[in-house]
Amino acid sequence: MSIMEYNGGSVIAMVGKDCVAIASDLRLGNQALTVATNFEKIFPVTDRIYIGLPGLATDVTTLRERFRYRVNMYTIKESRTIEPSTFAHLVSSTLYERRFGPYFIEPIIAGLERNPATGELSPYIAGADLIGCLNFAKDFVVAGTASDKLFGVAEGLWEPGLEPEDLFETISQTLLNAVDRDAYSGWGAIVHVITKDKVISRTLKGRMD
Amino acid sequence: MAVAAAAQTGFDFSSASRNAYLAERGVKLPNATSTGTTIVGCLFQDGIVLGADTRATAGPIVADKNCEKIHYVTESIRCCGAGTAADTEFVTALISSNMELHALSTGRKPRVVTAMTMLKQHLFRYQGHVGAALVLGGVDSTGAHLFTIHPHGSTDKLPYVTMGSGSLAAMAVFESKWQPNLSRQAAIDLVAEAIAAGIFNDLGSGSNIDVCVIAPEKTDMLRNYIMPNERVQKEKTYGFRRGTTAWTAEKIRSLIINEEVTQVGNEAMDTS
Amino acid sequence: MASADGGAYSFSLTTFSPSGKLVQIEHALAAVSAGTTSLGIKATNGIVIATEKKSSSILIDDSMLEKVAVICPNIGIVYSGMGPDFRILVAKARKSAQAYWKIYGEYPPTLVLTQEVATLMQEATQSGGVRPYGVSLLVAGWDATRGPMLYQVDPSGSFWAWKASAIGKNMVNAKTFLEKRYNDDIGLEDAIHTALLTLKEGFEGQMTEKTIEIGVVSVPTPAEGETGKVDTATARPKPTFRKLTEEEVRDYLAL
Repeated sequence: MSIMEYNGGSVIAMVGKDCVAIASDLRLGNQALTVATNFEKIFPVTDRIYIGLPGLATDVTTLRERFRYRVNMYTIKESRTIEPSTFAHLVSSTLYERRFGPYFIEPIIAGLERNPATGELSPYIAGADLIGCLNFAKDFVVAGTASDKLFGVAEGLWEPGLEPEDLFETISQTLLNAVDRDAYSGWGAIVHVITKDKVISRTLKGRMD
Repeated sequence: MAVAAAAQTGFDFSSASRNAYLAERGVKLPNATSTGTTIVGCLFQDGIVLGADTRATAGPIVADKNCEKIHYVTESIRCCGAGTAADTEFVTALISSNMELHALSTGRKPRVVTAMTMLKQHLFRYQGHVGAALVLGGVDSTGAHLFTIHPHGSTDKLPYVTMGSGSLAAMAVFESKWQPNLSRQAAIDLVAEAIAAGIFNDLGSGSNIDVCVIAPEKTDMLRNYIMPNERVQKEKTYGFRRGTTAWTAEKIRSLIINEEVTQVGNEAMDTS
Repeated sequence: MASADGGAYSFSLTTFSPSGKLVQIEHALAAVSAGTTSLGIKATNGIVIATEKKSSSILIDDSMLEKVAVICPNIGIVYSGMGPDFRILVAKARKSAQAYWKIYGEYPPTLVLTQEVATLMQEATQSGGVRPYGVSLLVAGWDATRGPMLYQVDPSGSFWAWKASAIGKNMVNAKTFLEKRYNDDIGLEDAIHTALLTLKEGFEGQMTEKTIEIGVVSVPTPAEGETGKVDTATARPKPTFRKLTEEEVRDYLAL
């Protein structure tokens, strides 16, 4: 058994037109036994950054708290909010610190990055492996027990320039159809669409088996 | 800076015992991203040309179709990385950082051998557990230099080198076509051909060809120099009709701060 | 124990005198005031920091002397006071900047680096067995959040942001001079000339490219600013702080 399958769970993030979306399933399992169907793996970091932490549930909680601490310290020390690209590096260095005793988490970051010169917000997504190797993608990033399936479905469904509502449909269908073929993910899902003036979070209806 | 100091002095092993226990119970670690990779470098008349493919893999899955494997060390020294992706990324960043400090404190441009020595000492210290296989090239006051560095810390200095899972395919090209004193364009073409051999014959390598030309006066990073595997435009769009996905709850967090001004007095302020 | 030049409270620097002073810190400030003059001026499109570089003998090879130091591509500092103390602070500041880069993938904002150095200097006023640093610093840098910023750090560890400031032997005169000359829409070229004019006041000997050091912060153009972040390992941002070469200093002096 892989350690990712111990609790199960999957996360995906996609880029749209002036927006990003990040979504996850809601299952928490003990191997094949489902323990909870309301286990959220995606957390807000700032108003415009969300992080998804699929993997071992104990590490989900630990890392969430560590990132919360480090982002709060950054905000106070520098009296500014952290940008997604800076946060991605912070995640990466935090994970690599434990190169030889890693957290079993493959984080996904989604946010809108403010250009310091023009003030414009542009979509930003990144993924990382469990020891912090960043993967900057222009289209989508996936992680978790359904990652193989998510790769395949997203590769087929994603297209550039999706408006927030269309991006919601695409990411939702990608996630739902991928986790339906994964025994360790599913049991409902949650989607966050981050736009420049609001974050829309929707709980999806999904198969409960 | 307590946080910074922790990150600088080395690794945190506090979860290692827990993870070893899990491993003992037959739990497998997830695959770390690795770069199966074809990376090459060769000398030409003015300096060094480095080349790399852009595929990153996690087991049998292509994790990143267009990653960057030619890492910055200094303005005139670059390093291609194969092996565990995170290790190549961080080991080159560490040495780049130390080279910058070295340059500031000596007031000179640092040399390629300096970077090579720092890298091999770091890798030797970790006895191969930091899984980075590198091609290091650059130009300094003593000329153009090209090295390979293996994960255990051994090094070679050769006029043309290849590394990674596609190294055999790439070396076949070099062995049959490389010659001393190549022109700049001939060297770029040869490197591109060697990488292409890796991309098309090795499963661990794929996507695009990155090339970096380091000459005494200038370094040119030719990112995606050739893109032989571009995805074709989709025939149809696969968008869904809005409302396809059934959802049960919605929460909207507004990021716009609304400000309402309420006039308290009846009359405008007397400004006369 | 009591003596004319410090009294009983000058031995342990961590002991307050009854009047609430830490006498060693005041002595450190005296060491700064004995040092050569340095100054900094913030302009609309950049900052200049400058200092006079004076060697005690003509026999000293002054090509080795370095008083304006690059900390990281966006920050530079200059000092007045004790050279050896400055060297230690420069080494620590550079390491701190690199440690920040390794975590966040970008160099620290000027304020953060200044805080870091100021903390180091404060620690030397509250620890056993050490003495305060005998330097005041002028930190000049540019970052995307706050733009060009000029800070002064004192041996006590306190720091302020300035539009223009001077430290060292001639600081009082220099500050008066700067107060007269400064205006809010001064350009970088004017600021460099004002810096040289200010240094000229009370300069002993000849002002040449060998006896003057200048560092300059230049604000990136909007186009350059858009790529102000280190997004990939290869596309690095252009440095915003640099030291002027001897030729450039000579050209400014000739004007």
